[in-house]
Amino acid sequence: MPEVFIDNERYEFEGDQMALQFILDLGMEVPFFCYHPSMSIPANCRQCMVKAGQYIKDQETGEYELDDDGNRKIRWFPKMQTSCALKLSDGMVIQTQETSEEAERAQKDTLEFLLINHPLDCPICDQAGECPLQIQTYKYGPEGSRFEVKKVHKPKRVQLGPRVTLDAERCINCTRCVRFADEISGSKQLTIVSRGDKNYPMTAPSETFDDPYSLNTVDICPVGALTSTDFRFKARVWEMNQTPSIDITNGKGCNIDLWTRDNEVLRITPRHNSEVNDYWMPDEGRKAFEQFNNNRVSRPSVKLDGDNHSNTSWNNAIETFAEALEAHAPQELLLIGSPHASVEENYAFNKFFNLLGASTAKFIPHLISGYGDDFLITDDQAPNTNGCRLISLEETDSAGIKTAVAEAEVVIILADDLVGREALSADDLSAKYTVSLATNKTLTTRASDLVIPITCVAEHAASYVNVDGRIQRSFPAKETKYTNRRLNLEMSEGRLDRYGTNFDNWVKEEHKIDCLPAWEFLNHLADRLGLEFQYDHSRTIFAELSDQIESLRGVTYERMDDEQGVQLPIEQNEVTQA
Amino acid sequence: MAEQELAFTQEELDEIERIKAKFPTDKAATLRVLWVAQNKYGHVKPEVQNLVADTLEVPRSHVHGVASFYTQYYKEEMGKFVLDVCTCLSCQLCGGYEILHHLEDELGIKAGETTDDGLFSIQEVECLGACGYAPMLQVTNGVYANNLTKEKVDKLIENLRNGNLPEFESMVMRQNEKRKKAVS
Repeated sequence: MPEVFIDNERYEFEGDQMALQFILDLGMEVPFFCYHPSMSIPANCRQCMVKAGQYIKDQETGEYELDDDGNRKIRWFPKMQTSCALKLSDGMVIQTQETSEEAERAQKDTLEFLLINHPLDCPICDQAGECPLQIQTYKYGPEGSRFEVKKVHKPKRVQLGPRVTLDAERCINCTRCVRFADEISGSKQLTIVSRGDKNYPMTAPSETFDDPYSLNTVDICPVGALTSTDFRFKARVWEMNQTPSIDITNGKGCNIDLWTRDNEVLRITPRHNSEVNDYWMPDEGRKAFEQFNNNRVSRPSVKLDGDNHSNTSWNNAIETFAEALEAHAPQELLLIGSPHASVEENYAFNKFFNLLGASTAKFIPHLISGYGDDFLITDDQAPNTNGCRLISLEETDSAGIKTAVAEAEVVIILADDLVGREALSADDLSAKYTVSLATNKTLTTRASDLVIPITCVAEHAASYVNVDGRIQRSFPAKETKYTNRRLNLEMSEGRLDRYGTNFDNWVKEEHKIDCLPAWEFLNHLADRLGLEFQYDHSRTIFAELSDQIESLRGVTYERMDDEQGVQLPIEQNEVTQA
Repeated sequence: MAEQELAFTQEELDEIERIKAKFPTDKAATLRVLWVAQNKYGHVKPEVQNLVADTLEVPRSHVHGVASFYTQYYKEEMGKFVLDVCTCLSCQLCGGYEILHHLEDELGIKAGETTDDGLFSIQEVECLGACGYAPMLQVTNGVYANNLTKEKVDKLIENLRNGNLPEFESMVMRQNEKRKKAVS
């Protein structure tokens, strides 16, 4: 097998490999800015310089030539090589900054050049704390700058598009954003203009950077040049808490991180999963932070008259719900599950009312045909359509559900804005007793007689099955009124969470929503009704499910965590009808 | 928008086809087609850049990036004669700035501006590769006026006002003049 010598260690490699990626895969480090594993390699930041050469082989004998000490002779390449674009070959010798002073010096000098026109505004820069330029400068950069004259000034606060703001002075022209638009999203909207010392990325004058994936350029920008207009100046990254989760705005189930501070989701970034979304996610999914924070149903409410709702206590809500159930025969109940809710919620919801004697919950896929692309945006607007199919809820359409509603007396809806998405109208529900288990205030909750607030994906651990049949799960990121980060080992704790108290200025009780996981609410309802129904955690529900359902056999939360989701052996249910 | 009104004639389109045939990709023909456009309109403002991009079917951003790099492409409307005065090292040492400031005083405009009558624009440019005949200027991406003095500049402007472009001169560096005579 071909061999390569990196920092005096011998490694074997196979196939075409670039030195930088090979070194990174070994867990070692070479600083770089422009290189990105999913994009082409322009080698234009010049930061990943290494010293490279080749052992000299005697042409005739095929033996390595030795020097006087018996060591193999090395023919060094005439100049430093950018390791990102250096293809490994048999007998190659590479010295990184760890073993070569020349390489270390080359990297230091490159950094000094990169920093010549870079403003020293780290204290007010959003990227600070997660900035490759800042980190590399600390690690490999020069102590100070010898550049004593005025820096080049470039445009600041340029609205590149509806979601991306550019600070051209911070740009080091690595062209990651340009390559992203060219190669990944394909909109080709960006270019480098005024090439020379005044260069920066820009769109054509008649265009705006409205690429549906535009915010990925903010993630890959190695400096603070491209910033998210929504997140600009909202929080320092080290004050936030990062929790892995799943994008619930469409059917793809992009792997994401929820960034919270004081129980508010402030931004959403993609988490690498080569099976689903690689390093990317659509801009729409990042907008979801608003629905996690704002317009939430907090505390149960009952309809008084017309559209007036009044908040009520949990006890009263449970009592009201129980009375409604007791006043009607099980055949008069209509259960509507939801592709917007998790597998566990749907299962617990369906099971509870099955115990009462009601028939299986129906659900309506939320599809907009032609909405998707071939990348990460899907026709499916819900994260868990296949999950509803998996637990055999009854799939129906708008006409079917209208008929079913007309025949029912009590309609119980799980987390689905059926009125808002026009599967039902408010009039359809007006003559019925309607109960909504909901996360957000919607037209449906407004039309409901009783609204029960339940946790959203940012507040519970639950699993979702994406359009390709991959089951993935979320972690609780936001506390509710009834959970506590310090007691729930599944929740991560940021600096503010640890040191903030209810008596200081940066912790607000209002950010905690007064809601319960759907199953926990049903526990209370079961107590009142005297039903055998008790789930202390979504994990228990899932364990029960994986025992019952063939295609979930052997699937656990632990496997989902270790393998970044598990591909289920289920048929690829098309996503055509609406 | 004015954008819709812009269009290449069939002749120009034929020429663009001939240009495209010379390159492996259409993207590579950007520079030449920008010239076709600039010769037609006298500038390559954003709408003209878009016309070029749409004609070549390359991204608009790409054409914009290319056009913004070269001072020779005029991103705004310029005077009939564009005087590119070199102030790079050699010219600067030989009085490039004096020539530039003299021109500015004479025409009553600053570098980067155009006279009200639309006749002259002045640009301060970097090296045009004529260091041997510094200071020098270039007229509208064409002929060079070399070994400038204030008098020579005055005369050049007068000639240009009368519509007379300077003639192309074959230049020899001063130290080589003797040898040139000997050879000829």
